Amino acid sequence: MTAGLRSYLETDWFGPLAITALAVAVIGGLNPSFLSPFNIQVLLLAIAVNTLIALSQMIIIAVGQMNLAVGAIGGLAAVCFAGLMQVWGLPPVAAAVAALAIGLAAGILNGIFIAVTEISAFVITLASLSVYKGINLGITRAQPFYGVADSVKAFGNTTVFGPVPWLMVPTLVVVGLIWYLLNRLPLGRSILAVGGNSHAAELSGISVSSTLITAHAISGLLAALAGVVLVARLQIGQPTIGDDWLILSFAAPVIGGAVLSGGHVSTSATVLGVAIVAIITQALVLFRIDPFFVQVVLGGLILWAVGVNRWREVRLRQGPRRALR
Amino acid sequence: MRPDDSSAAVLAPAVPELQALKRQQVLRLLLSNEFGLLVLILVFGVAFALLTTGFLSAFNQFTLNRTAAINIVIGYSMMTVIVTGGLNLAVGAIGVCAAMFCGWLIEGLGLPWPAAVLGGLGLGASLGFLNGWVVVRSGLHSFIVTLASMSIFFGMMLFITRAASFRALPPAFAEFGRMKLVGTVSPLMLVAIAVGGLLVAMYRFTALGREMLAAGAKPEAALLSGVRVGRIFILCHMLSGVLAGIAALLLVARTGAAIPSMAGQLGQDWLLPAFLGPVLGGTLLSGGRVSVVGTFLGAVLVAMLTNGLLLLKVGEFWVQTCLGLLLLVAVLLDKARRSYLARRRML
Repeated sequence: MTAGLRSYLETDWFGPLAITALAVAVIGGLNPSFLSPFNIQVLLLAIAVNTLIALSQMIIIAVGQMNLAVGAIGGLAAVCFAGLMQVWGLPPVAAAVAALAIGLAAGILNGIFIAVTEISAFVITLASLSVYKGINLGITRAQPFYGVADSVKAFGNTTVFGPVPWLMVPTLVVVGLIWYLLNRLPLGRSILAVGGNSHAAELSGISVSSTLITAHAISGLLAALAGVVLVARLQIGQPTIGDDWLILSFAAPVIGGAVLSGGHVSTSATVLGVAIVAIITQALVLFRIDPFFVQVVLGGLILWAVGVNRWREVRLRQGPRRALR
Repeated sequence: MRPDDSSAAVLAPAVPELQALKRQQVLRLLLSNEFGLLVLILVFGVAFALLTTGFLSAFNQFTLNRTAAINIVIGYSMMTVIVTGGLNLAVGAIGVCAAMFCGWLIEGLGLPWPAAVLGGLGLGASLGFLNGWVVVRSGLHSFIVTLASMSIFFGMMLFITRAASFRALPPAFAEFGRMKLVGTVSPLMLVAIAVGGLLVAMYRFTALGREMLAAGAKPEAALLSGVRVGRIFILCHMLSGVLAGIAALLLVARTGAAIPSMAGQLGQDWLLPAFLGPVLGGTLLSGGRVSVVGTFLGAVLVAMLTNGLLLLKVGEFWVQTCLGLLLLVAVLLDKARRSYLARRRML
């Protein structure tokens, strides 16, 4: 094996990219309507929303924690966005800013609780999941808001050019920003350092608690953005938005090679992970396979991905030893 | 108890020191989770009795202990896996699968209901075994494994049942759920108490129970002292599966039908009660320590708060917010209690 190929094989994005290409080729070959412009548009819409959800979880996985409240924050932001437009008649931009601020505040609260009390993120976000979901249901009384402004509906429904929907625009911007944050900015490096070994990070002068709070703030903001974008796509403010994000939010980063104990994530591979999930879900629909089966496939994908990650980890650890022999 | 405390007391049994020791023990008892929960249950019980009409009525007490019984067993189910230092997100999914399988055995195969109940619990145990086997064999954290398996189990269940419920169950089920003993006590509660008793006996008096605690507290040390940690962890997951099955069957007895949505999407609705009981009761999330009585009392407190808040007409949608806040307050209090005890011990 040449050294060049080998170094590609060891990157996080190579495997998911190969699978994506293979899946597109196979499914497109078996069923040409998969590559029709309409179908590609549907696919891109799903990817646009799900990427935001996945990145919201990925940033928390990067610090070595988990955020069960991603869906609850997204749902709360979504109903606030729609509710502010319907009940108070706010212009869409103001409502969106308010919804994002709510998501940011929710994330900061999570982060403060986790950093100050040092209680496991799992318990804190489980509690806040229930608090945010309860507020959502308390506001909406489980009824959707229908008063979404026409400009928002148009934003969720039209395309920039060809099959590329407008919803892709915020997602692409966010992907770029998160990639820049994690790979080029000191803050991103400290997030990864805290995830890799928080004790070592602390000793080298990084404030662990403020890094944790910032990571949770970003996560809350991204979850809220996903909620707002989903309102534009669905055209109503559903209180059930976010209920089914949990599995998906973990599936994509894990398929993208993220290490759950923290310190190692890949933005591009996570986006490819989202694409793989979207393509497979779409294929199940195209081939008229039972929609109930999607859950099984998603769970299976997670197991398969963590298995592969584990195998890679073990091999990497064995690598130097084999070289010595 | 601190070893140097007892040795000091033995060597020089001076009266003031003994008293100080006793006072410390009393203090520790007063600061235990179980005692705190008991006080909270009494305080809220009195408050609800005074503030609402009908909290103490026989009917309300009956529905209250019926609901509490189910939450208690859900709490046990999570507790048995928390012992290992892991968690089981698939509690709800396994429970629903077990209940649906039991329903199918009765309606599809025409088995008598006791056999079907055993079959359902057997399925719970096998799904728990799968979880445990994958966790132990792969060395992955149980969080991600059970997150995946929750999706797989629930998806398979929907795929096989076509999301249809089993409603023609034998009347024995519904009768069991409706039965009232002494006017207010539901037999479901007796099941929860009996299961709790068995768990206490297991953790206290059997080698298996002790090995589970040892393996959870420090797997490496347990392995060195001859405990087969992997096998024990798998058993913990199987036990969790059986308990999830029991909880779901109790729920079937209460509603009179096996319904795929009875634990919400993917069984997620059980997650909060599953963690509330053990965490309120002082089970350590890092493993190795359980409190069966604490889990019991924690679940009773949660059921009582839910019931009381509904009677206060807080609005059913806000109850979830209150429960989330309760979990937050509980972990904060637990933290404060622990650091207080640590400081006292240092003095």
